[in-house]
Amino acid sequence: MTTVTATVKAAPRRVRPLRLFAYGLAAALDPLRLAGLVVFALIWEGLSSVLSTIILPPPQNVVARLWTDFLDAPSLSYYGVANPNLYANLLYTAENVVIAVAIGAAIGIVAGLVSARFSLVRAIINPVMMTAGTVPILIAAPFLLIWFGVGRLSAVCLVIFYVTVILYLFAQRAASNVSPIYEEFARTLGASQRQIVVDLLIPATVPEILGGLRIALAGAWGLEAVSELLGSQEGMGKVLEVLAGATDSEGIMASLLLLGLVAIIVDAIAGWAVKRLASWNAGLSSERN
Amino acid sequence: MSTNVAPRMIELVHVERSFRRADGTDVKAVNDVSFVIPEGEFVCLVGPSGCGKSTLLQMLAGLLEPSDGDIVVGNKPVTGPGPDRGVVFQKDSVFPWMRVIDNVEYGLKCRGVPAAERREIAWTYLKHVGLSHVERAWPRELSGGMLKRVAIATVFANGGRVLMLDEPFGALDYVTRHQLQDVLLNLWNADGAGTRRTVIFVTHDVDEALSLADRIMVFRSGNKVDDIAVKVSRPRTTDSLLLPEMVEIKRKLLHHLGLDHAAGLDAVADEAVA
Amino acid sequence: MKLGARVVRDRWISLGVFIAIAAIWQVLSVIYTVEAVPGEPMVAGWQVLFTKTFLSMADYWAGGLGVPSVAEGADRSYPAAALSLADHSLQTIIRLASGLVVGGGIGLALGLAVSWSRWTRRLVDLPVQFLRTLPLLAMVPLFQLWFGTNIAGEILFVAYGIGVIVFAGTVNAVRNVPSIYIDNARALGASRLTLYRTVILPAILPEMRSTVLLSLGTGWGAVLGAEYLGAQSGLGYVIVYAQQFAYLDRMFLIALLFIVYTSISYWGVSKLTARMLDWAPPSQRL
Repeated sequence: MTTVTATVKAAPRRVRPLRLFAYGLAAALDPLRLAGLVVFALIWEGLSSVLSTIILPPPQNVVARLWTDFLDAPSLSYYGVANPNLYANLLYTAENVVIAVAIGAAIGIVAGLVSARFSLVRAIINPVMMTAGTVPILIAAPFLLIWFGVGRLSAVCLVIFYVTVILYLFAQRAASNVSPIYEEFARTLGASQRQIVVDLLIPATVPEILGGLRIALAGAWGLEAVSELLGSQEGMGKVLEVLAGATDSEGIMASLLLLGLVAIIVDAIAGWAVKRLASWNAGLSSERN
Repeated sequence: MSTNVAPRMIELVHVERSFRRADGTDVKAVNDVSFVIPEGEFVCLVGPSGCGKSTLLQMLAGLLEPSDGDIVVGNKPVTGPGPDRGVVFQKDSVFPWMRVIDNVEYGLKCRGVPAAERREIAWTYLKHVGLSHVERAWPRELSGGMLKRVAIATVFANGGRVLMLDEPFGALDYVTRHQLQDVLLNLWNADGAGTRRTVIFVTHDVDEALSLADRIMVFRSGNKVDDIAVKVSRPRTTDSLLLPEMVEIKRKLLHHLGLDHAAGLDAVADEAVA
Repeated sequence: MKLGARVVRDRWISLGVFIAIAAIWQVLSVIYTVEAVPGEPMVAGWQVLFTKTFLSMADYWAGGLGVPSVAEGADRSYPAAALSLADHSLQTIIRLASGLVVGGGIGLALGLAVSWSRWTRRLVDLPVQFLRTLPLLAMVPLFQLWFGTNIAGEILFVAYGIGVIVFAGTVNAVRNVPSIYIDNARALGASRLTLYRTVILPAILPEMRSTVLLSLGTGWGAVLGAEYLGAQSGLGYVIVYAQQFAYLDRMFLIALLFIVYTSISYWGVSKLTARMLDWAPPSQRL
């Protein structure tokens, strides 16, 4: 979740939004897949009846807890959480994620594209970025807490680092994956350097970069949460910390479930955006080898 | 065509190009090649793989610098790629992120031609290549042959006086290849005698060269080994390829390609004579 | 060839960049002398890092092997500092390695088992996707609640993080094996088991390589997360412990060590797995 180079390497080379969407739709309607979820819940249910509720609360309790705590969780106020509900803390975490992803993506994409086009820039930035991509970004968290104190800034900075590195690597790879034939063709047609960047480099790399953005988004939630766990007065991480202190496994699982659900929703929105912004690419690799 | 009358369009003087291999040795891809091509001529470059014909084309396009020698196109030395020389590549170069019509007008757009005007030009050529019905399609929705048509329309629309095609139809099936040869020849002819564009067409298909070219240059290991005029009148049909002079040229070409003993060739020649 | 020359040039530039960063750090330590707490500079120069800071690692030595610990009243000594670093490194590496073996082994075995039929594959699809979307690092408190803050709990946490990735990666890789290979093997008369052994296992290797690298990265992150939040040993523990006293130089030294470890492990696994893929065409080596 925090190591970036591996994530970039493991990501599919081409995003196939339409196929993914069709696949997702089929998956959602497939009775066997749904049955899988039921089986999962039943196993959970069965385990929870064997184990004590403190260790593993049954799924319906977790869902019910999520439902009530979302708008009002008085238990949190005993432990000094400013807003005693999941909704406000989720909003705080989501704000940080959005801010960090926006800033990190802007820096990473520009740096990645520039580095792909200028070998000297690449030679200078790459070693740093590759190292940053191999090391879990989490290593920076304690430093940020000392430099910027316990608050929004350290958490946001941590996520910015992560997103920057991941999008740098994605943008660079996307740009170097663009077949040189397109640039050659454009040059023979009389395109200027600027036109090549605007008309070729950017549209050609959009699908892969958006794919990277989705991966960065997915990782950003976890990193933001753990950063809040390490030191924050608000946010889902703080909620988790408080609930852990109270050994409230039901509350912890409800919070995790909420984070997971939000991550799924955000990813779905991002997937939809990918589909819209890169419609030229839909199913490209599947139709033409 | 009328070689003596038309002004010279392309001139190569002692052009060389060498590459360094991974092991450090130099390889001459193009070795001391000189020729002149008059305006409006349709020239085919023929030779086995690795004979340097594609390298030569890349240098003409300005995508590759010669190690030595001069290349002049339209009285200007070639210093880089430019819209005066259109290129159709072997691989698909149609931009997948632009719709078909946007692809065809892209070169015009780069040169600042007003939108309405360039759309009309693009439309004309799209119609010429028989693709007006897929104007708004994405390239991914087209077949390989259709993509080649788009590429041809694009370079023609861009108005370059020299067109270079690097084994453009090599990957296509037999029928499609022949259809595209017709498309190309029709577009070339449509300009009318005297204003035809100069075409350099790289191929390894002997029959393709015979049915298209005014002149065939043969390359082998970086050298120009032969330069044959094809005087047979156009339009050329299946029967044209059986004319004795055609068969004679084919025999020569096959010899250069090391295919002397191609079975059945003599029989074909005899038939044609009879 | 030009390309080769560029690779050599880039190597020099990389080296230069790292040297420049180290030099800038040193310059910064001279110019920027603000202290986080009295006696603890925000930016510690290299001469401090490799002497005083290194020596202070002795504080984290629990004693034993004939080298007394600071807690036992001994002075800080280089042997104690070195032993301390070695011990905490070992703790971290043991957590990671055990997690990799347990999680990777179980994930691979379950993944292959589930891939046996299309039915089971579909059955586990959604639950696994669900588990993958849960932010791993945020799950540390849950694991601590379940297994306590002991090494077994931390190993299980790492194993869980890796297991989910390897499981999903295996299922996906098997699904992506081109059906032409399977058809060909079956046409040649291969049984289901032979098919698995001779076709599917080798064919998933290229894709599994990226899964292994991904799980290695996740593993390091998970170890660090677990050690930050409650472990009583390991490099992550030392960092967080030092952070509470704002000992930036100590944190920096450990972080450097951590960077070295992760880089080496990544490089090693990457080389090792590349060798297993000598047969694969470059396009398949992700």
